[in-house]
Amino acid sequence: MRTHKVEVGDVTRELPVVEVSPGVSVALFNMLGDTEVTEAAGRALAARLPNDIDVLVTPEVKALSLAHVLSRETGKPYIVIRKTEKPYMVDPVAREVVSITTGKPQLLVLDGFDVPKVRGKRVAIVDDVVSSGGTLHSLRQIIEEVGGEVAAVVAVFTEGQERPDVIALGHLPLFS
Amino acid sequence: MTSTPAPAAPTGPQHPGLRVTVGTVTRELPTVRVGSVGRVPLVEFLGDSEFTNAVAEALLSRIPPSTEVLLTVVTNAVPLAHELSDRSGIPYVVARKKRRTYMQNPLIQDVPSMTMGVAETLWLDGPHAARLRGRGVLVVQDVIASGGTAQALARLVERAGGRLVGYLAAFKQGESTLPVTYLQELPKSL
Repeated sequence: MRTHKVEVGDVTRELPVVEVSPGVSVALFNMLGDTEVTEAAGRALAARLPNDIDVLVTPEVKALSLAHVLSRETGKPYIVIRKTEKPYMVDPVAREVVSITTGKPQLLVLDGFDVPKVRGKRVAIVDDVVSSGGTLHSLRQIIEEVGGEVAAVVAVFTEGQERPDVIALGHLPLFS
Repeated sequence: MTSTPAPAAPTGPQHPGLRVTVGTVTRELPTVRVGSVGRVPLVEFLGDSEFTNAVAEALLSRIPPSTEVLLTVVTNAVPLAHELSDRSGIPYVVARKKRRTYMQNPLIQDVPSMTMGVAETLWLDGPHAARLRGRGVLVVQDVIASGGTAQALARLVERAGGRLVGYLAAFKQGESTLPVTYLQELPKSL
């Protein structure tokens, strides 16, 4: 199997390169269940997180443990944006995004209960990989709609186009 | 005699929650109304690294010595599984509740019982299932209630060729007959 080698802090991984649409392959980075990579990335990103950030916001699921480690390392709280509306949510704020990895519309939902933790706050969005920026765009809309300011975007990798606006530890190319 | 104004009514949730203390961390668990059952306390690890860490620390000594891999399921237990893994040095694997496009030969497992009346299916990516083969696997969850999800995870262990060494949960909530190791029991409703 074709692989792509990446380094995260002092951890090295061979990522499988898989075709996601005809003629387009990506290096598959899945931190879920990779404790070493998550710790290495969380600590490295914590050191680069701007000091004036008030709160971290992450979409479920793959970057969850990363946000947890960033929160643990920096003492800043984190909020999880869910992919489905839960019965216990209060006045949820939702946006739809079309994911490039699934090709399907994906809902992003902020529990109204979490809105006061975002309103008037300087927010850092935390994700595993920032690629086309579709998820990022929707997250930004939700955060701004409830009165938060997106002051930073942090990710383990950017993918495809270079994104100087994102604080990242590395870059993943697209493969053809 | 002078009368002093009555203190303002305490603000806070309309329905008092349930207070839980683990280690040095105390949380008032929110409750959600479920049908005619009443208000069910909810355990939330997402967004609460302090509580997650306290629970992981308390669970650490309860991991059976023969454990080689932890198996959990999205979403709430993921940060807990990460902390347990980091503290114990034991890797963890996560089952999903939806098919992901990148999955290769996933194991697909129906959950035998229902949670809130919704049928669920668990998906374990093939390469992740391979990490369970021949290993002692501990099922790790945030809460074990009916035990339906725990049983589905146990079935995944078996189908992946692993050896189930036990069930570990932060909380037990309900009448599951599974041999669950847990920190505290929560009432099913308040």
